[in-house]
Amino acid sequence: MSEPAPAPPADSASISALPVRAAQPARILVVDDELGVREGCRKILAAEGYEAVTAGDGKAGLEQFLERGPFAALLVDLQMPRMSGLELMREVRSRDPDIVPIIITAHATIDTAVEGTRQGAYSYIPKPFTPDELLLTIKNGLERRTLMLEARRLRQEREKRLLELASERSKSNTIIAAMTDGILVINTDKLVVLRNNAAARILPDCASREIPFPLEAITSPDVKEIVSVVIDSPGGFMILSRQIPLGQSTYMVNVSPVIEPGGETSGAVAVFSDVTEMKKLDTAKSMFVSLVAHEVKSPLAATEGWLNLILSGMLKQDAAEEHRMLQRALLRVRTLRTMVNELLSLTAIQTGNFSLKRAPVKVAALVAEVVEANREKAAEKKIVISMSGEDSGDALCVLADRDTLSMVYANLVENAIKYSREDGHVWVSVRESGMYVTVAVKDDGIGLSPEDCTKVFDEFYRARNEHTASIPGTGLGLSLVKRLTELHEGTVTVASTLGKGSEFTVSIPVLAGASDPVTRS
Amino acid sequence: MGDAATILLVDDDKDFLELERRILESRGYRVICFSDTRTALSALNAAGQAVTPDLVVTDLMMTNLDSGFTFARALKADPHTAGLPVIIVSAVSSQKGFDFKPRTAADLEAMGADAFFDKPVAPEALLDKVKELLG
Repeated sequence: MSEPAPAPPADSASISALPVRAAQPARILVVDDELGVREGCRKILAAEGYEAVTAGDGKAGLEQFLERGPFAALLVDLQMPRMSGLELMREVRSRDPDIVPIIITAHATIDTAVEGTRQGAYSYIPKPFTPDELLLTIKNGLERRTLMLEARRLRQEREKRLLELASERSKSNTIIAAMTDGILVINTDKLVVLRNNAAARILPDCASREIPFPLEAITSPDVKEIVSVVIDSPGGFMILSRQIPLGQSTYMVNVSPVIEPGGETSGAVAVFSDVTEMKKLDTAKSMFVSLVAHEVKSPLAATEGWLNLILSGMLKQDAAEEHRMLQRALLRVRTLRTMVNELLSLTAIQTGNFSLKRAPVKVAALVAEVVEANREKAAEKKIVISMSGEDSGDALCVLADRDTLSMVYANLVENAIKYSREDGHVWVSVRESGMYVTVAVKDDGIGLSPEDCTKVFDEFYRARNEHTASIPGTGLGLSLVKRLTELHEGTVTVASTLGKGSEFTVSIPVLAGASDPVTRS
Repeated sequence: MGDAATILLVDDDKDFLELERRILESRGYRVICFSDTRTALSALNAAGQAVTPDLVVTDLMMTNLDSGFTFARALKADPHTAGLPVIIVSAVSSQKGFDFKPRTAADLEAMGADAFFDKPVAPEALLDKVKELLG
């Protein structure tokens, strides 16, 4: 009886935050036109720790309600001047449906009681009543209210959680559906219970199956096996990865167990990542390594062959013969070293580790240097090199790494000499063409077939014919020329006729303003 | 020694051509060299003045990988040259990840060859095999 009653809510929005037991006493509005009754009630209630507010008629009661509310309970007489008890109850309940209305009436009849409860009264107390009767009714009413409020708070909390959960779920579902990796979730009964769009595409044979469907419906034995092994693994901590070909593609399939918070395995998640492109790259890399190994093996084998022959003594060679053979071996070793250097450069370019120190370079001067450096080699084969455009002087500048660009031009000039016949002619020209500085190296040598022209910039490609058989080469020079030119935002092209000669053209963007004497100084 | 058997040698690498020629000549064999299989085949079939070797030593990967195989098979297919022993000497024993180094007599037969050596071939090994095949 002396238990303090819970406080009413300040407003319905704060219900979820309402403590079950409040420190504040429950407030009760007592409305009766009989002063004795309302004062008697106030005293009884105050003695029990309730805070009672009184009013003498319906209108005053409504005013008190509006000014001093909220109240946990309303004790109301039915027949009052200005505003009846039922009317007041309606007004009050429309504003606070949680208030506990209790009717106190001297005209206790079944009819008024029924009407009162029909309009939402919790109970009624016929006058006259004892303090215990009043307090018991109030206590029961307030307890019911507390339970109701608490139940509502819980319900609202649950609804809120459900709402959050639903939105989380739809978020997760949206994300899973949008993933490019295929996802399957399989339960311990080996039923597929989740499949995203990508998985349906990757496993088209079971795309039309409704979820859940048995794992057995998946055609790929590899997928079935890897999933089964994970689900069946004791302890459920096994994670498996396997490359599995599915359709035209290869997938890395990762299967991991779904472990519940209690530690029990409830199934497995299989993630399918498309590794087709990576596999292609991997194969290309292996092929390249194999190609390099073969290309390295030939000069190495030839060198070993010569050394073997000299050391065997079986030929009883004179010193001059031996010297000649050693020179042949040396030539192959040099080619090998050049090849290794070129390979290192190519690798550096491909991995982005080839750094260019760019500065304005006068192309004509650079090309003239390259030509001069090759005159002697040309003279050995009685080849004449003529150069045009060297008088362009300072006009044709490019922003380039001078050493690298020199390597590009030197490679073309050396090739022109290498693939020319004796008494041949090599023409080197420097000119401006549009936004580019173009260097052309032309020869009247052995030339290239149309097929060779398309492949001549490929790594390790060498034109093979009776003329090239005795010319040492790595098959990497022109691919390096192409890569280095491209590093300078330039292009390299070839025009050739088999048996008539070739022309290689390298174009590098001209450095705007460099020819302007003011900016250059 | 000095039985003056004639050996036809094909290799597009002039170092190997000369190396193997010298090895074979050291035992007194007569060696005819070609740097490609097409010329070698036409020399074998030239009317009237055809080259008539007693044995063939050929490289495998010349203008293209197939050329050595094609050459060896062409020799075995032609009744005039079918009896010629063929020795393949190659630096290449795998292509695109496929190892084609012969390990059994059946492998060699499929290649149209009687022997296979990795480059560089040891002089004694080549000479022993030539002697054995010329029997």
